Amino acid sequence: MNFLSLIWLIFLPVFAAIVIMLPVYPNHQVRIRRFAKYFAGLHFIYACLFLLFFDSSMYGMSFEKELTFFGMSWLKTLGISAKFAVDGMTLLLSVLTSFIVLITLFMSKMHIRTKHKLYYSMVFLLESAVLGLFCAKDMFLFFVFWELLLVPVYFIVSQWGNSEARGAAIKFTLASFVANMFLFFGMLILYYYNFAVSNVLTANIESLNMNEKIYPMWFQIMVFVNFLIGFVVRIPLVPFHNWYPDIQSKASAPVNILLAGLLNATGVYGLIRFNMQIFPEIFKIFAPVLMVWGLINIIYCGALSVIQACVKKMVAYSNIAAAGFIMIGLAAMNQTGFNGAVFMTIACSIVYSALFVIISSIQFRTKTTYITALGGLGQVMPKCMYLALIICFAAIGIPFLIMFAPKLMVLAGAMLSNLDQQLLVKISAAIGLIAMMASAVYILYFFYKVFCSVLLEQWKSIKDLSPQETSVLTALCLVIVYFGINPMSVIQIYQSVSSIILDVLQV
Amino acid sequence: MSELVSAYLPEFIILIFIVINLVFSLFTGTSVYRISKWTTLLGIILAIGSTIYLQIDPEVFAFDNMFLTNIYTVFFKILILISGFFLVLLSRNMIREKRDRASEYFSVFLSGLLFAMCAVSSVNFVSLFVALEALGLSCYLMLSLNKNPNAKQLTFGYLVQGAVVSSFFLMGLSIIYGMCAQLDYSKVSLCFSQNPSQILLTFALILMICTMLFKLGLVPFSSWLPDTFEGANYPIGAYMSCIPVLACFGVLSRILMTFLAYTFTMKIVLAIIAILTIFFGSLSAIRQENLKRLMAYSMSVQSGIMLLGLCVFSVYSLSSVLFYLFCYIFVNIGAWAAIILLYNSAKLEKLEDLKGILYHRPYYVIAFTIILIALAGVAPTCGFVAKLYVFSAVARSGFVFLPFLIIALLSSVIMIYAYWRIIRAMFRRIETEIVVDTKLISSKYILYACAIASVVICIFADKIIRLCQLVAYYM
Repeated sequence: MNFLSLIWLIFLPVFAAIVIMLPVYPNHQVRIRRFAKYFAGLHFIYACLFLLFFDSSMYGMSFEKELTFFGMSWLKTLGISAKFAVDGMTLLLSVLTSFIVLITLFMSKMHIRTKHKLYYSMVFLLESAVLGLFCAKDMFLFFVFWELLLVPVYFIVSQWGNSEARGAAIKFTLASFVANMFLFFGMLILYYYNFAVSNVLTANIESLNMNEKIYPMWFQIMVFVNFLIGFVVRIPLVPFHNWYPDIQSKASAPVNILLAGLLNATGVYGLIRFNMQIFPEIFKIFAPVLMVWGLINIIYCGALSVIQACVKKMVAYSNIAAAGFIMIGLAAMNQTGFNGAVFMTIACSIVYSALFVIISSIQFRTKTTYITALGGLGQVMPKCMYLALIICFAAIGIPFLIMFAPKLMVLAGAMLSNLDQQLLVKISAAIGLIAMMASAVYILYFFYKVFCSVLLEQWKSIKDLSPQETSVLTALCLVIVYFGINPMSVIQIYQSVSSIILDVLQV
Repeated sequence: MSELVSAYLPEFIILIFIVINLVFSLFTGTSVYRISKWTTLLGIILAIGSTIYLQIDPEVFAFDNMFLTNIYTVFFKILILISGFFLVLLSRNMIREKRDRASEYFSVFLSGLLFAMCAVSSVNFVSLFVALEALGLSCYLMLSLNKNPNAKQLTFGYLVQGAVVSSFFLMGLSIIYGMCAQLDYSKVSLCFSQNPSQILLTFALILMICTMLFKLGLVPFSSWLPDTFEGANYPIGAYMSCIPVLACFGVLSRILMTFLAYTFTMKIVLAIIAILTIFFGSLSAIRQENLKRLMAYSMSVQSGIMLLGLCVFSVYSLSSVLFYLFCYIFVNIGAWAAIILLYNSAKLEKLEDLKGILYHRPYYVIAFTIILIALAGVAPTCGFVAKLYVFSAVARSGFVFLPFLIIALLSSVIMIYAYWRIIRAMFRRIETEIVVDTKLISSKYILYACAIASVVICIFADKIIRLCQLVAYYM
């Protein structure tokens, strides 16, 4: 077990990025790509080993490790330390991150034609940032990785996207920086209020818990709202969602896979770790609002998804709509809803990454993403169509595919929730159920427009999936089917997390 | 005598090297500039060595209690000397333009360092006045070295405003002398506590503080800043954004802590000044096209953030400001090194000139990007830790300062945009024929060293924070 260190898991990608960036490393695209793929594969195996040795019956954090520099811990005088640990939820999210990066690197060959060194090192930097923020035990350490994430995202979107990608990237970065400002402000006042009350200077997330009810209500609400703004922009929820379809439609295809897989999960994770774990009571007050907010998300973005002209935007909007289910599950404030929401986060990452893999291979062949220019591709790309069919069914929530169990759990959780505003919650859950059925509309519309209608003349000669793409998509489909048939294998890993977070309210 | 030596040796060494440089200036020839550069570096190294070597006693007074040496002053002196060391290496284009005048330039340069060190050490208003005036004088002299006819006009404002502000200082000085008949800090502070008519004394102190505000480019006196920087030569710009800032913060924190630590109104006034500087400085910075003007506003905003940390008046906040200064010096010199490299090799000074440079000098671009990220205070660089530390000191001081904190955070987002414009320009796709001269080895390595330092300081921040807390405690 000693060879499993979270420090290695988090910082190995940084070393890989530095190795690629070094002037002595040959600027030869095949060698860079090969190194990146092998490295990502090994990293994924290493991450899976954590899962193998993880004891899911254990209560609380495991694999705890502190990053020290020659025996010194980071910013000890300010009560901030570079401690990393995982629970079941973050371990799953970390393995997922590694997996998505691996898939992205497999799909990068066709689309990334310039500046290979920068691209691959930035992808690894992004991986490291996401892993770091999942594993950080300290509030400001979390924030460091949270902000670090923006740098690689800005570069990979702006440097390899289409001609409008630059504007979209800066829109995302600035929106995030403004949201981060709220987050940082909330963290600062929480940090010092905690110091003033308990006389211990610490930014450790576990010791900031509100169990002892030492904070006045208005203060809790103030910090809660600051955190909420910070995370909601990233998830993204409706009034703040604009950046997401924007960067997804303008970024390069492998970047889409990466962003769909990683960005939303970080936002949901932040919401769980900070808003829910530190302020469970305020979360309970805000829960009906969040539930309705999630519902608005589902309906509004679902409707927007149908009318988009760009395939990427279509999928991006349906991704936001799916994030609405996560919000409903979290707002239910019970075990079923919470477990469903976390599972939904993972399922969303996998399914929407898979959809973007399909779009990536279509874009590579047709050089377009406009829905009017596509159609009937099923006739020339049968393999692609069948795999896409599985993924689309998964996105709708067909039984025995990955999205079914979480959607069901989320809605069941909402139905069973014992929040104060019973009527509102029940109505929301009922509408959510209808919306779940309706989500078939925009997913199937996408499938129909791309694969089923009349085949245009110019696409008659395009080839079916290459072996590499087939293997990537098959792997994704296997994951989708396996966890669809056996959802408990995922849920049992993080089951104890929900009891830690929700037990506070039962007492 | 031994006390005088142990208090004054670094300054004395610098003084000797000023004289040596003046002797060199009698000779002309192509090799003189190189000799005087190395002598200057030698002098600075000797001064650093003696500063570290001599610090044994906690406090040493010299010159009839006008001059104090303790850990606090040593900290500032070492920072001043280190930045002086880097600035000498950055001065190459000054030397190249006027080879025959290199020795004179270096003697003025060293006297600037000398008086900055004296200002930090002085505990008497007269010696403070002399030191600050002489520091200002060396700045005026160096600004006048630019032969561009436009530059004279641009830098003239600095001279005039500087004269006005130092007359403020004199007026404050005379009021204090009239009220207390004393000029030592300790005795004046005693007089402060006994005197019932504190308002006049506070007014006098505010008049004095104006000098520091002026040199730091804070709000009521910030109009000189962009023009002067535009008119200055590049190394002089770097000089003006480091040495006076260090000297003024050394003086300002001592004065504020000695006299005004318990006046609430003063805290608020200073916080408002800081906030106005940060806000309007960052708003102006996003419109700049000239890199030097952008750096001028950057300096103004950074010193505004430091003033915001300072006006909370606690040992904790003082140590946070010291840490911020420590980071600021490295990052700022790194940024100037990048700009100087660009100017010297291809005479580029506008933002749009940077387009496409990624394709020619990728490592330059990466180093400069790290430096800019650090200046903007984004993780994972020392700028982030510094910002965290200063803002947490502000948050710690109570809910009165929270509105200021919000505006400061908002402005820091605006400032991120201002720095990001440089990064965007460098990563533009349009290919132009820029060739950054790799012969300027010193500037290049300073840039790389500062970029690495800004990450390393972030990692080893704890040690430096401890040092800063010790220094703040001993003040």
